[in-house]
Amino acid sequence: MIKRSFIKLTGPRLLCDRVEPDPKKPETIPIPPRLVLLLHEPLDSTRETLIKKGDMVKRGERLFLYKESTEYAVSPVSGTITSIASYTGDFGTIATYFIVERDEKDTSENEFAEFAETPDLKSADSFLRSLPGAPSLSRFLDPDRKINTLVIEGSDSDLMSTTRQYLLATAKEEIKRGIQILRQMTGVAKIAITVPENGNDALSSEGVQVFKVSRVYPKALPQMVMKDHLEITVLPGATCEDHGVTFMSVEAVISLARTYTKKDPVYDKVLTVIAKDGTRHLVKAVIGTPLHRIFKQFNLQTNERDRIIIGGPMTGFAAYTLYHPVEPAMDTIQIQDREEIPYVSDYPCINCGKCVRACPANVPVNLLVRYLEADLYEEAADSFDLQSCIECGLCSYVCTARIPLFQYIRLGKHQLTELESEATNA
Amino acid sequence: MHKQNKYTVSHAPFWHDGDTIATMNLNLILAALPAAIFGILKFGAPALGVLSLAVSSAILWELAFNFISKRDITIADYDAAAIGMLVGMMLPATAPWWIVLIGTLIAVVVGKMIYGGIGGNPFNPAVVGIAVLLVSWKQIFDFDAALLNYEFGFTALAPLAALKHQGVAAMDLFQTRDLAMGCQVGSIGTVFGAGIILGGIYLILRGYIRWEISLSYVAGILLTAFLFRLVNPDIYASPLFHLFTGYTLLGAFFLATENSSSPVNLVPMIIYGAMGGVMTILIRNIGSYPDGTVFAILLINLINPLIDRIRPKALGKGVNNA
Repeated sequence: MIKRSFIKLTGPRLLCDRVEPDPKKPETIPIPPRLVLLLHEPLDSTRETLIKKGDMVKRGERLFLYKESTEYAVSPVSGTITSIASYTGDFGTIATYFIVERDEKDTSENEFAEFAETPDLKSADSFLRSLPGAPSLSRFLDPDRKINTLVIEGSDSDLMSTTRQYLLATAKEEIKRGIQILRQMTGVAKIAITVPENGNDALSSEGVQVFKVSRVYPKALPQMVMKDHLEITVLPGATCEDHGVTFMSVEAVISLARTYTKKDPVYDKVLTVIAKDGTRHLVKAVIGTPLHRIFKQFNLQTNERDRIIIGGPMTGFAAYTLYHPVEPAMDTIQIQDREEIPYVSDYPCINCGKCVRACPANVPVNLLVRYLEADLYEEAADSFDLQSCIECGLCSYVCTARIPLFQYIRLGKHQLTELESEATNA
Repeated sequence: MHKQNKYTVSHAPFWHDGDTIATMNLNLILAALPAAIFGILKFGAPALGVLSLAVSSAILWELAFNFISKRDITIADYDAAAIGMLVGMMLPATAPWWIVLIGTLIAVVVGKMIYGGIGGNPFNPAVVGIAVLLVSWKQIFDFDAALLNYEFGFTALAPLAALKHQGVAAMDLFQTRDLAMGCQVGSIGTVFGAGIILGGIYLILRGYIRWEISLSYVAGILLTAFLFRLVNPDIYASPLFHLFTGYTLLGAFFLATENSSSPVNLVPMIIYGAMGGVMTILIRNIGSYPDGTVFAILLINLINPLIDRIRPKALGKGVNNA
C-alpha cells in the first residue's frame, strides 16, 4: 500500500507501475481438471435450462442458458458439466456458473471456422465475445449509438497492473493485424491506441493515432483519456459510447488477431498476479481457471479475512471465493493481507478538503457525501454533481475521516438508476 | 470441497493513504508546540498550568458530553485536545483556573459538541470559547495587568493595547525583530511569532492546513494595514507591526484554517482568508477592541457556507461538445 508522502502540498500523486524493459515470459498455468465458467445471466430455478448437469460439452461450444438467451459462455475444454448454480456479484447482480469437468478426449466443435475467412462483426460478436480481453464488439452493433472512434487501451488504467503493457511490448505484429481486422470488421473511422508515456511508438505508422498517457493515476481511465486526448468531455451520466467512442483492451485486439489467424478461438489469458509482499508474477491461464489454481502454482497462501482483489486497488472488486474463475476481462489479481486492509469509519466529514483537491472531475465531494449519507440521491445528482464522478476512487483513498466516499458514490449512482427505472416502469 | 476461508469483501478502493483524524490533530498539536513551549519557558509554571488544564479539561468536557448525549466516546481523535491547546495558547499565563474551565467548556460544548461533534461546527470552537471570555471578562485579556508581576528584559507593554492607548508613537517602543522573536507581552502561545510561522509552515507542507487560507489571511493583514498607513501614517501602525502582534499569526495558521468552518475551494479560500485579514485590521484600527482577530475569524466563519458555493464546474457540466 502506498502511504501518504511526508510533504503533501497538492493532491495525491499515485504512479502506475511500468513493466520492466525486458519482461519475462508469462508462466503458464496447466489447464485444471475442473473449470468454472461465469455467465452473466441469472438462473431461473422455475425453468428448465438448455444445458443440464451431466451434459457433455466440446471445446469451443457456446453455452446458452435458455432458448432466447443472448449471453453465452464458451467452454475452453471438452468435458462434462457437473454443476450449474447461481453466483452473486457486486450490487447483488446474479450470474450463473457452470463447472466443467475436463475429459481427455479434447473433442472440439469449431462452428466459428466457417466465419473465420472474412472477419464480420455479427459473426464475431456471436462467437468471440468471451475471447481473452473481452472484445466489446456488441457496442458497434448498437443502432442507437454510432461509434466513430475506437480507443485501444495499451496502458493499464489502474495502479499495479502491467498486463496490457507487457502485451503492448511483446505482441506488436499481432496488434497491427488485429487493428486491420477491426478496421475491416467495423469500418470505424478513427482508431487510436493509448501507450505509456516514454514508451516506444512503433505502432504509429499504421494510420493509428497514438495517445501517450501519463503515469499519474487516473490519467489512463477512459474518461480522462477522452478529455485529455480526444478533447471530448463525457457528460454527467453519459457513457463514452454516447459520445461515439468505445474502448477495447489491447488483449482483445491480440486475441482477435490470433483467432482469425488460427481460425479457432483462443482461450489463454495473460494476468498479473501480485502476492502479499508485492512480488509480481505474469501468468498465462485458460479462461475458467479457478483462482486457487494460480495461487497454488506460486505457493501463495491466503488466510481468513485477507482480501482477494480482482482488478486494480482503486477500481477493482473483491472476490469472496477462491473458486472465482479467470474471466475474459480480468487483468490483475492481488492478495491483500488482512493487516494491510485499511479500516473505514462512520465518522462525519470534517471538511478537510483533501477529496476536493484530489478529484479529477471537480466534484464537491465534501458536500456530496452529506447528501449521500442522508440518502438524498436526487439532490446529490442535481446540485452536487454525483453523475460527473468518473469513479477513480481517489476521494476514498485520501479521506482523513476514513469515510467510504467512493462506496457512497457508487451506491448513490446505483440507487439513482434504480429510481429512474422505477419511474419509467411506473 | 474443502473448508473455505472467509475473505474480506468490500468495494474499491482497497488502499488508503494512511491518514486519520488522530494523526491530523496530533500534527496540529505538534506544530503548536514551538510557540507553546516558548510561552512556558517565558512565563514559567503558571503558563504550563494553564495549558495543561486547558487540554485536559477540554478532553474531559468532551467525554462528559459524550456520556450525557449517549454517543460514542470521541476523545481518541484528539480533536478536543487540539481545541484545548489553542484555547490555552490564547489565554494569559495568569488566567485563573475557572476562566480556563469556562473557556474550554464553551469551546468544546457550545463550539463543537452541540452541533453533533467534529465536522458539524459552523465556527472555530476555540475561537468561540475565547470570544465568549473576551466579551464576558475583558479584564482577563488586559495583558499588561495580567503580567504585572513579571520582570521582562524588554518593553513590558502589550503592543496592541499600547497602540490603542498611546497611538502610533507606541510603535517606536518595539522592534519588529523583537516582536517576531517573542520579546513582547501577550498570551502564552501567541508571543513567539517565528515559532507559530514555523509550525504553520510545517502544517502547510504536511498538507494538514490549506495554505491558500493562511497566505491570503497574511496578505489581507499586510495589504489592509499598508493601505491604512498610506492614508495616515500618524494614526495607523505598520503592516509588520500588525502581523507580529496579538493573535494575528495564530489566526492565520491555526484558527482560520480550522477544517469544518472554512471553505475548501480555491476562490472561496482566498476570499475567506483575505476577508479575515481585512476584518482583523478594520477592528483593530477602527473598532474598540485592541485585537480583532477573534471576531474577524467568527465573521469569516459566518460567510464560509455562502462563499464556498463558488466552485469550479464539475466534469461535463456546462460544456457543449456533443
